[in-house]
Amino acid sequence: MITIEGVARSFGGVRAVDDVSLSVRDGEFFTLLGPSGCGKTTLLRMVAGFCELDAGRILFADQRIDTLPPHRRNTGMVFQNYAVFPNMTVGDNVAYGLRARKLAAHDIRARVDRALKLAQLDGYRQRWPYQLSGGQLQRVAIARAVVIEPNVLLLDEPLSNLDAKLRVDMRGEIRRLQKLLGITVLYVTHDQEEALAISDRIAVMRAGRVEQVADPRMIYERPQTPFVASFVGTTNLITGTVSGGDAEAVEVAFGGGVICVYGVKQNAGETVTLSLRPEALRLLAPGEAAPVGWAMLAGTLAEIEYLGPVTRFSIMLADGTPLHLMALAPPVVSGAVTVAYDPQSIVVVGAP
Amino acid sequence: MRSLIKRHAFQLTIGVGAILFLALFFLWPVIQVFAASILDASGKHFTIANYVNALSSAFFLNGLFNSLTIAAAASACAVLIGVPFAFCLARLPIGGKPALLALAALPLVLPSFVSAYALVLLFGRSGVVTGALQSLGIPFDSLYGAKGIIAVYTFTLYPYVTLPTVAAFKAIDISAEEAAQNLGASPARMLRTVTIPLVLPSILAGALLVFIESLENFGVPFVLAEDRPILSVEAYKLFVGEIADNPAAAGVLGVILVLCTVVALLIQRVMLARRSFVSGARRAAPLIQIGPGLRHCAAAYCWSLIAIALVPFAAVVVISFLEFRGPVLHAGLSVDNFAQLFERSYRPLTNTLTLATLAAFGAMLIGVPIGYFVVRYRSCLAGLLDIVATAPLAVAGTVLGIGLVMAYSSGFLILTGTWLIMVLAYIVRKLPFSVRSAIAILHQIDPSLEEASINLGVSPAVTFMRITVPLMLGGVIGGLVLTFVTVASELSATVVLYSGPWTTMTVAMFQALEGTSAGVAAAAATVLIICTVLPVALVYRLLRWHELSMV
Repeated sequence: MITIEGVARSFGGVRAVDDVSLSVRDGEFFTLLGPSGCGKTTLLRMVAGFCELDAGRILFADQRIDTLPPHRRNTGMVFQNYAVFPNMTVGDNVAYGLRARKLAAHDIRARVDRALKLAQLDGYRQRWPYQLSGGQLQRVAIARAVVIEPNVLLLDEPLSNLDAKLRVDMRGEIRRLQKLLGITVLYVTHDQEEALAISDRIAVMRAGRVEQVADPRMIYERPQTPFVASFVGTTNLITGTVSGGDAEAVEVAFGGGVICVYGVKQNAGETVTLSLRPEALRLLAPGEAAPVGWAMLAGTLAEIEYLGPVTRFSIMLADGTPLHLMALAPPVVSGAVTVAYDPQSIVVVGAP
Repeated sequence: MRSLIKRHAFQLTIGVGAILFLALFFLWPVIQVFAASILDASGKHFTIANYVNALSSAFFLNGLFNSLTIAAAASACAVLIGVPFAFCLARLPIGGKPALLALAALPLVLPSFVSAYALVLLFGRSGVVTGALQSLGIPFDSLYGAKGIIAVYTFTLYPYVTLPTVAAFKAIDISAEEAAQNLGASPARMLRTVTIPLVLPSILAGALLVFIESLENFGVPFVLAEDRPILSVEAYKLFVGEIADNPAAAGVLGVILVLCTVVALLIQRVMLARRSFVSGARRAAPLIQIGPGLRHCAAAYCWSLIAIALVPFAAVVVISFLEFRGPVLHAGLSVDNFAQLFERSYRPLTNTLTLATLAAFGAMLIGVPIGYFVVRYRSCLAGLLDIVATAPLAVAGTVLGIGLVMAYSSGFLILTGTWLIMVLAYIVRKLPFSVRSAIAILHQIDPSLEEASINLGVSPAVTFMRITVPLMLGGVIGGLVLTFVTVASELSATVVLYSGPWTTMTVAMFQALEGTSAGVAAAAATVLIICTVLPVALVYRLLRWHELSMV
């Protein structure tokens, strides 16, 4: 288990990492997700030992490691630009960490072979880095990091230099390898889709702080802050005042109407922000009835964007609040329109 | 605190070691020179009398004026001929560019006083060309004095301007120029408002180096100035004492020389402060298509420039194989001059080779770690090291030599008269270049390579040896050779520091000049030229010329 306790780091007055506490379970695929400059890479580098802590501590199991020099921490890091040593063959790159640990030669050979095989690089032992493609370099970097059997595998945006198709393949492969080896992974990315696809749990970071830690489903479906709701996927954020309701549901009034929300306890008069995912909304064709249990909002059609598989509609509510929604089979509409929504999927993401 | 020291042991060792070295063999000698200039004859009491004396003497003021005007004129001339040359090399479609670029850099490693001496042999009072012209009845005023010195500086130092400017012209993002034209600027207007301003920092940096080198050069004015006072030569004369050795007055001159350089550096800093351009060049600027007429003109310009710069050296080589009777030249091939040069011993040659090799390795062993420290560990200590390691640039060789003699003639460490003091002086003098070079190389090595190695369990010190050094090797070998050849032709510190058994080739030539054995001097010059051109030719592919220009 990795425990991060109250760590902080400032760079010239800017709090890059601001009192962050997390714990990563053994064998877990844990992702730090956030926009650039949110402190996720700094946090990763703190675990690796390339960035000093101003405050707090980091433990592997119950051993404090933030006081150890980076080369004694036994973390395997995969760098954004791979950092494959250009002056060594693939085999020597992968053997590098084992040689530093002074293993016996036949041991090294066996483990390098196994790692190359795992990374689907058999037969590449004698190749030089300049002969490899980006994806292959990536595999070398991963093989080199896992072969030392690190306490944690650290990946710093490992897929950002690959093209889109390869990115999807590689992330599946990283996940497969992680499950096969049962290794603990700390993964940094700014790509929310990647994070959702690959992680056991995600910590969404903003401005040096952790906004929410949860599994991918909870992060997407039950975001706790407006930032998490808007950074992961797209959403409509609406701010209003609790105007009434009962134990089961509350009503939130705003300029464009009233929205009904289930499963939350808010007192009347409180100001709240709601997240309405585009796919939780349905644009009704003229004369169409809303599904059972759904509520409705009235607005005016402002814009239609045809995106191929889906069509994106922009609706203007009475007070000018824009509402974006998607439809697989778009209804033919114009002018005044009705939008239906499922109150169960509306989430209160906190006060503005 | 203790754990912090332990964790950064490697970095701290490098940093503290480098500062200690520079404090001992750079700062302390310079302080000695300064102290000598503000102490009275007893060496105990503070006085400004030395400065008053110097500044009220017409001779010194004249020297200061000569030094500054010559340096300024040489810088201006180097810019005037060097920038168009750079433009031709970078942007015009002329043939033989690799050869042009290689030959353009050559004057930087050739000893400039050899060029000065060639001028004397050709155009001096009894020079070959002068004689020929006079026999034809054409009056020819020989070019001793300022005009000759400026000409030599211009044609030996212009690569300092050309090399970085070529790089700057090439680094310009073409879209900046396209935007200017798209907005309606004519080519001339674009050149004036976009292109030139973007390369100006490089031009200024080059011009500054020409200025500094001209100011501190000892050999060229020694050959060409005759009795006109030049600061670097006068400091030497006052210290070594043709008449009486006068460390106080030598100190004053030294301090004034250093001040001039520092002021020039500061002016450059201020001028460049708001001109740091990040060129995010996506596409290199393409060659400008011009008609064949213009193309031939450009090619002719480039080749004639190179010819003017290199012909003196060729002339010296030819002359060294001709027969001299006394100072008079005769047509007839012979190796007598070389026989005479090496008559007593080969020591000067072996000395030059040994000392230059030692200095090159020394400068590398100290410069590379400093560069590493400056690039990889941004901290106050790194900033300080960067400044201190660049500072030797501001101290003329003569002044450093005088300081070293003052500092290490007595006391706990006596070095005067040894080979070690010469090597130390060379290392200190070449350190700015070797540090800059290491910095440039390191900037091209991704720090995550080192982090990857450390992450895999290899300590920083071992990582440096296993990863960093092998990756730097090509560039470092190039730097090693450049240091070797520039040390081999070093004169200004050598002439103060050498002692009988450690006479170098440059000193041998210097002594031959002082005497009248022109043939021996030419032979020594030829040997020097071979010593510099040969190693450069051997490792040409590894050389990074632009690093000599410190930009």
